Amino acid sequence: SQMAGAKKATPRFRRNYELATGVMRFSAARLYHKRGVALCKKTKIAKKAVAPTAKFVTKKVGGSKNGGERKVLASKGAVYLKEDHVLDKPAKVARNPKVQTLRKNITPGTVLIILAGKHKGKRVVFLKQLEKTGLLLVTGPHKLNNVPLRRIAQSFVIATSTKVDVSGVKIPETLTDAYFKRTHTKVEKKGEQANIFASGHQDYKVSEQRKTDQKLVDKACPGLYQETHPEHKSSADTSAPDSASERTRPLTI
Amino acid sequence: MAEAAPIVARKNDPALNGRLYVKAVFSGFTRGQRNQNETSSILKLDGVFNKNDAQWYVGKRVVYVYKAHNKKNVPGAAPSRVRCIWGRVTRSHGNTGSVRAKFHKNLPATALGQRIRVMLYPSNI
Repeated sequence: SQMAGAKKATPRFRRNYELATGVMRFSAARLYHKRGVALCKKTKIAKKAVAPTAKFVTKKVGGSKNGGERKVLASKGAVYLKEDHVLDKPAKVARNPKVQTLRKNITPGTVLIILAGKHKGKRVVFLKQLEKTGLLLVTGPHKLNNVPLRRIAQSFVIATSTKVDVSGVKIPETLTDAYFKRTHTKVEKKGEQANIFASGHQDYKVSEQRKTDQKLVDKACPGLYQETHPEHKSSADTSAPDSASERTRPLTI
Repeated sequence: MAEAAPIVARKNDPALNGRLYVKAVFSGFTRGQRNQNETSSILKLDGVFNKNDAQWYVGKRVVYVYKAHNKKNVPGAAPSRVRCIWGRVTRSHGNTGSVRAKFHKNLPATALGQRIRVMLYPSNI
């Protein structure tokens, strides 16, 4: 604090001064201690006499060969459970990707035109939408156009207005995304990586499981398409139909 | 399949023809009179003559297919001379059915006036 009446005293800052707007050099707590107010306070809290708790407690133990008694910790420390470790790391956010919503015009039995891939241009029968990935499960039927039970994405398909009755088709429960998932055979690294695509991968072999499932599903399918559309001999016919009048008709989907 | 279904505003029927794309021509880059922007191409689609029809093609994938001298590897097939540049239709262009597309790599000038395929996917019908 400033000395009153000291003319020649060099001007000093007050002990506690503003550094910036609203920010003081010393906080209220600091200043409290600087003033020595605490030391002047007369209040004293009497210390309570606390009996030291025994760390161990002797307990009686049964059994003749067990020594009769054991020293047991009076209070067991908190066990850091495995579950408590959850609090350390932030929980892994469960990622539930939204499954592609099925277009309204695609219902079981709809005939779809495949737009891309090995079977482009072929018409296939839509069976159901697979749960996990939202891909469409379709079948040729295989006998008609060599398209097996397969998955396609909705974006690569045109839905026609033709519907085939597949209520009789019982799709096995085993036909899930895991069933269709590609299994990549590990390619051993060779000295020359010249053409890994041509040499590395192995030819796909149809498993017996696939064959039996195909037969099972196609049993209810094959005749149907030809019944509803006797003018088409097979749906593999992607070229222009025979009659000239068909060629000039407007597109009906 | 001659049933009274609503006629879709698609002028071609590639499925019948075996061609699963719409023919288009690369008519140039977007440009003002004296400057051009090579990142955006203008395609003139076969049989598409108004803005409404052109709007249908927005989002569809687009390929420029060409041949080169050297063979390149193709996954799952023999090495071939055929190459392609893929892209997408970004928006319609003008009132008479043209369309803008952006390719992964800008189209080369040699593609001017050449055939570009506008695929039917990603499909929404």
